[in-house]
Amino acid sequence: MSERWDVSPRYPGTIATLAEVWQYRRLLGFIGDRALRKMYRRTVLGWLWLVINPLFPIALRAIVFGGLLGVGSNGLPYFLFLLAGTVVWDVFAASLMWGTRALEMNRDLSNQIYHPRAILPFGNMTPALLNLALKAAVFIAALIFYTLRDDRVYLRGDPALLWAGAALALAFFLALAISFFTSIWGETARDIRFGLGQLLSVWYLLTPVLYPLSQVPEAQRGWMLLNPLAVVVETFKWGLFGVGEFYRAEFLVTTAAVLILLCAGLTYFARAEARTIADR
Amino acid sequence: MPGRSASPSSDPQAWVIVPDANEGVGRRTREVWQYRRILWFFSVKALQSLYAKTYLGVWWIFIRTLVPLAVGSFVFGSIMNVPSGGVPYFLFFLIGQVPWNCFDGPLIRGSRGLEVNRQLLTKLYVPRIILPLAQMTAGVVEPVIITIVLLGALAYYRASDGVWYVQANWRLTACMASVALVLAFAFSLSLWTSVWQARARDARFIVRYVVAFWLYFTPVIYPLSVVPPAIRWLVYLNPLTAPVETFRWGMLPGTEHSWAWFGYSVAVTFATFLGGVWYFTRSESMTMDTM
Repeated sequence: MSERWDVSPRYPGTIATLAEVWQYRRLLGFIGDRALRKMYRRTVLGWLWLVINPLFPIALRAIVFGGLLGVGSNGLPYFLFLLAGTVVWDVFAASLMWGTRALEMNRDLSNQIYHPRAILPFGNMTPALLNLALKAAVFIAALIFYTLRDDRVYLRGDPALLWAGAALALAFFLALAISFFTSIWGETARDIRFGLGQLLSVWYLLTPVLYPLSQVPEAQRGWMLLNPLAVVVETFKWGLFGVGEFYRAEFLVTTAAVLILLCAGLTYFARAEARTIADR
Repeated sequence: MPGRSASPSSDPQAWVIVPDANEGVGRRTREVWQYRRILWFFSVKALQSLYAKTYLGVWWIFIRTLVPLAVGSFVFGSIMNVPSGGVPYFLFFLIGQVPWNCFDGPLIRGSRGLEVNRQLLTKLYVPRIILPLAQMTAGVVEPVIITIVLLGALAYYRASDGVWYVQANWRLTACMASVALVLAFAFSLSLWTSVWQARARDARFIVRYVVAFWLYFTPVIYPLSVVPPAIRWLVYLNPLTAPVETFRWGMLPGTEHSWAWFGYSVAVTFATFLGGVWYFTRSESMTMDTM
């Protein structure tokens, strides 16, 4: 009597997927290193991009929107205001960009050795985190400069500062949750890769980074708060400087939504990974 | 064919390999004209490759043109309260977007002219200068769509406010001249950038980067009048400022512009174009070899 073989894609379950990612955590450094190298390979400016990227856009935007157009900034120096908003926005945008491309960029690796695929979006976000570190350094320098120049302490020194940290983490996890979906979809639909840049540039305008939420006409403010990033960015700035408003209820709802989305994303990813990778 | 390689020097059919000669602008132009049918082929191909293998297909062109228009005019007009000189901001914004999109899209596409046709270029000969030109032609779709939206918006404001904000007289020819100038400038620049992009991977990011921030230093989302008069000449040094302002002057009564600076932009474009043709033809063969 012959043996009966049952061949079907593995579906370990959400918790098991996370546990496996933890087991393979040493790979994270390797994948991150790959992503960083890919970013600057065959480029003329090379590692200079690391410096240009955080500084150049913020400086130019500050000149135009803060200087020329006189957009409000909740009483802060506009550059500092914009820098804070950009830090948290870029954590989201860059993580989402890199996370979405995680499967595509590491296909050669996945075809050769086994590793939990769910580790790829985590590892691929390293360039975004490096970016954050550089911007944070610029931010601290700017903060010291403005504190000395105006002789006024802009940073608040109470436990509310923790909310800023929570907002930053929330931006990251929201990007991670979305990339669990988009990295899978991006394998089959070119629309995702193509449309993500477009979507992010529109989303950026609708998020209060360039302007404070208080400048939005009353009628539209409620609608703007439906954007989870608006809540995150406003909370971040409130937590750092104590300017603007803290939308506590909205923040809690956003946190809950991100957690749910994260679980759903992991489940979806775990179910879809075998199918998508096997087709390649 | 037997015998051909036996005595290549005496055989009239023998292949003669001419080392790449810098043939001069005149011959190049004539050659482009000879190959003009290919231009159409490459333009259509460029347009199709934009949305090839996407689910939304051709709808992408409309989405990527119209959504930023709506969001941009809301954010800049309603939230930031950018002044617009007595016209509804949406209209002001649309009018600025027409010449700007004649620059932005065509330059970014044109810069990819050599890069995207890499496969083809290594196999057969076409006058290479046609490629950025053809890619660029595909970029004209967006300004056309925006112009249609502009006409619709004009009709809407005529019905709601009872005024045609735009004048229809001889000044409209200035608009056409501005659009032509902007297109010529985009093409002249893409003669440089397409060569760079074929060589270096990040040239593409640099072009996108520069174009994205160029917008902020061109009076598209804001009128030139918000710039302090003392430093206005600085903004005018940007060769796109004059055509955008002239375009607006051609449509909206009660605006000002400067023909002198328009002349400056023409001169800059001309210089960029001549330099571009020289650079492009000079580095053509070398670029082909590295591809």
